[in-house]
Amino acid sequence: METKRKRNQIIGDIVGLFFTVVIFLIPFYFMFVQSIKSKKEANRLSIAWPTELHFENYIEVVKHGNYQLVTAFKNSGLLTLFTVLGLLLTGAMAGYVIQRRKGKLMTAIQSTIMLGLMIPASILPTIRMLQSMGIYKTMFSMVMIEIALQTPFTIMLYRGFMASIPVDLEEAASIDGCSRWQIFSKIIFPLLKPIQATIIILVGVQTFNDFTNPLYFLPGAANTTVQLTLYNYKGQLANTYNLLFADIIIITVPMLILFLIFNKRIVAGMVAGAVKG
Amino acid sequence: MTKTKEKSLYSVWFVVPSLVIFLVFFLWPVISSLYYSMTVWNFETATFNGLENYKLFFTDPAMSTSVPHTLLYAFATSGLKVVLAFFIAIFLTSSIKSKDFIRSAVFFPNLVSTMAVGLTFAYMMHPTKGLLNVVIKGVTGSGVDFLGNPSTALWSIIATDVWKGLSISVVIYIAGIQSIDQSYYEAASIDGANWWQQITNVTLPLVAPAQNSIIILSLIGGLRTFDLIWAMTGGGPGFATDVLASVIYKQYAAGFYGLSTAGNVVMLVLISVIAFPLQHFLNKREEAIR
Amino acid sequence: MKKLFALALVCALLASMAASTALAEGKPFDGVTITFWGGQAEYNDGTKAVIAAAEEALGLHVEVEINPGGSEGDNILKTRIASNDLPDFLCYNSGSKLYDLNPSRCFLDIKDWDLVSRVDDAFLSSVTIDGAVYGLPQSSTQAGAIIYYKPDYEELGLEVPHTWADFVDNCAKLKEAGKTPVYFCGGETWTTQVLFLGDYYNIQAAYPTFAEEYTEGKAKYADIPAATRSWTKYEDLVDYLNEDKSAATVADGNFAIGVGDATHWFILTQQLPMIVAEAEDQSQIGVFGVPGDNPENHGLTVWEPMSFYVNKDSQNIDAVKAFLDFYYSEDMLNLYFETYGANGPSCIKGYELPESVCDAVRVDMQQYFDEGKTTPALEYVSPIKGTACEQLTVAVGLGQMSGAEAAAAYDEDCKKSAVQLGYNWD
Repeated sequence: METKRKRNQIIGDIVGLFFTVVIFLIPFYFMFVQSIKSKKEANRLSIAWPTELHFENYIEVVKHGNYQLVTAFKNSGLLTLFTVLGLLLTGAMAGYVIQRRKGKLMTAIQSTIMLGLMIPASILPTIRMLQSMGIYKTMFSMVMIEIALQTPFTIMLYRGFMASIPVDLEEAASIDGCSRWQIFSKIIFPLLKPIQATIIILVGVQTFNDFTNPLYFLPGAANTTVQLTLYNYKGQLANTYNLLFADIIIITVPMLILFLIFNKRIVAGMVAGAVKG
Repeated sequence: MTKTKEKSLYSVWFVVPSLVIFLVFFLWPVISSLYYSMTVWNFETATFNGLENYKLFFTDPAMSTSVPHTLLYAFATSGLKVVLAFFIAIFLTSSIKSKDFIRSAVFFPNLVSTMAVGLTFAYMMHPTKGLLNVVIKGVTGSGVDFLGNPSTALWSIIATDVWKGLSISVVIYIAGIQSIDQSYYEAASIDGANWWQQITNVTLPLVAPAQNSIIILSLIGGLRTFDLIWAMTGGGPGFATDVLASVIYKQYAAGFYGLSTAGNVVMLVLISVIAFPLQHFLNKREEAIR
Repeated sequence: MKKLFALALVCALLASMAASTALAEGKPFDGVTITFWGGQAEYNDGTKAVIAAAEEALGLHVEVEINPGGSEGDNILKTRIASNDLPDFLCYNSGSKLYDLNPSRCFLDIKDWDLVSRVDDAFLSSVTIDGAVYGLPQSSTQAGAIIYYKPDYEELGLEVPHTWADFVDNCAKLKEAGKTPVYFCGGETWTTQVLFLGDYYNIQAAYPTFAEEYTEGKAKYADIPAATRSWTKYEDLVDYLNEDKSAATVADGNFAIGVGDATHWFILTQQLPMIVAEAEDQSQIGVFGVPGDNPENHGLTVWEPMSFYVNKDSQNIDAVKAFLDFYYSEDMLNLYFETYGANGPSCIKGYELPESVCDAVRVDMQQYFDEGKTTPALEYVSPIKGTACEQLTVAVGLGQMSGAEAAAAYDEDCKKSAVQLGYNWD
């Protein structure tokens, strides 16, 4: 019995690893191997190891267009940072109260916000509105839009997670004389750590990798974001697959690092989060 | 807890920041789009033309075919994710040793931008040079024009979407499975249930809340999909992979703002008539299981 | 206090020195930065060379922003116009796409500029709206035509075809000889329209009032045989295309024709400089117009170049004007065309392209102009163009739709555009 279980386990490991490598890792190998080839070799799009290594592709990509990639990283980094911070705070506050309070008002607010999960954003009317407010093409408005678009999902996660935190804590704190803000900031907020790891990853990746919204709401060379740098390899530099893939790798690495930091905690946050949505 | 206690503990003001940002930067533009969808709009002047745009949207074959494509795309990606992710999650919650590594690997595609994934797969599906075709040709002798043939193009994008988006579903499932109390399995085991019976009789029903979240999230995501299609085929060849969002984008790009906005409203209605009843149904099912 | 005064004095001195050196070297726009928005194709090596020379001579600095092209580019431009956020000058299409921008509210009317008198009438008519002139040609004219690899023709003893039937015959012979007769770039859909759009010379020859009646909604592609023909021609080619027809890109096409991997390509001649760059020798590359049915009337459908437009509200109009005056000096035109090459004959009156420009332009294309066998593309004579055009040409080109179906679908598509542009077609 025991040996049979062990054998099954080993078979499971082997089969699992095989499929993982074929399905999930080969595409990444494909990207990487193109990125270190010469232009001509990359054009064949094969997965053969390059005859000559061209790591200088990466330098060329960074230098391209007067270090455009550096500007792009700065913009995307700021956008992602502010969006994540903003959502962590506003989402936690809203999710907390929405989960705890019942009543018609809360149901109404909750349903309104959840509409955001269903409805696609309206681009032109949004631009119209930003113009009339005089904040079109500003990092501020871009952050606000990203927050608005991701608020429903964030609140959904927070609300689900809140359900697993016992109410007694707040009642005890209230009896001890804590104010409502203190209860939230001193007691509840620290307990939200697991779900915050999940939110940082999901919101961070979503914002950093966002292509369309910055394209519409934050146009202009000085405002370029990392995803828009992929455009360089259409047009004039078309068919320079080596540079395209070097760019893809460079702009993926930050998210990979973020993932490795929070990897272990993603599931923990979800355990009570989305599940009870 | 009593109402007054709720009020004294939880201030409505906490909801205000989220609510204000959401209302101003999302909901208000959406509401004003209802008006613009009934105009010929060039950003300077909006001339009211009633329901003309809607009529045009549904009578033009180039636009109306996008509706069935959108539905196929949404239900196929959602269905595949719900099923595949479930088995992967079962696998990754078993006692195998490599589960942490595999879970990370499954998550990797989610870290790459849709644009980059689209380009990568479009190249791997290239009819002559693409990796997939090199392999297929080696085995069968002739290649498949994944994205150039209308009968395979949409399915090729669906497969790519599943590859990229599977991880979120897997994570949600894993979370759901881990929160199931071990005593249920022990009880089932005592009753003589084998491995498969434990999955169908214990895991599947108890993971229903997680599953419902996956269904709703992936279905809505599928109905709204744009980036991947745009990166891989731009809606082509011909109109074979045009979905609502890509048609809306094209009308927008052509400067037909009113028409584009009308398309947005059509999408809104479509999502609502699918998502709301579905959610209702799923909630009912969840309660019935309990 | 004393220190401050000294500091101020030094600053003033430095400033006056800077100003005087600038004047001494004749750089009237020293320190002025003008902003420019244009696509990769317009911001080519030729443009870069001229900009560098201008920065040297005039002292100004040109800050360039790249237009991503395609519908994204159109979007960005329209959005920026709507938000009063244009660069000092920019490059964009002439003809019907200029109409879409409603230029009177954003572009400067330059009809009083001396430069305008140097530009030929065909170009001017493509940038003139209600008597106001908005644009100056960024490059030379170009054609929607067939670019071909001459050594294949020599090898098989083929003649340049003057009818469509002869062309298809040539394709059959090429295929028999194991060549790829026609290159098709389904990976970049705009390219697939060129056969359809470039065939307009033949529609116009057979049905001279087509443009007018089409704009009014009276002439339909599905009803007029000469016009339906533009769509059914794709059917004749289905068997002669490259294997990766659904995914090939423009860069693939440049290479394929340049080295002779394929023989013909229906494409805008703006690709010539890039194709010639791939070829062993420029003389291997040739051009002919899309053939019709009358061998006596084989002509060329011509596009006007992209155009420079000046932002009406720019703070730097003088600097932009100085830059453009500089751009169109004989030396700079030579510099541009020698560095980059030409897409077709120039539209500057009395200017001759330098000898370094390829034969395909100076011989093959020029003869159509000399014989008067050219016609402007439909987009210069009618504001209506369906938005699904390239999707339809891909579908019919890949054999997924018949030419007749595509023609009918395109009529519907045009109707939609007409409604949005305020025409009443019912």
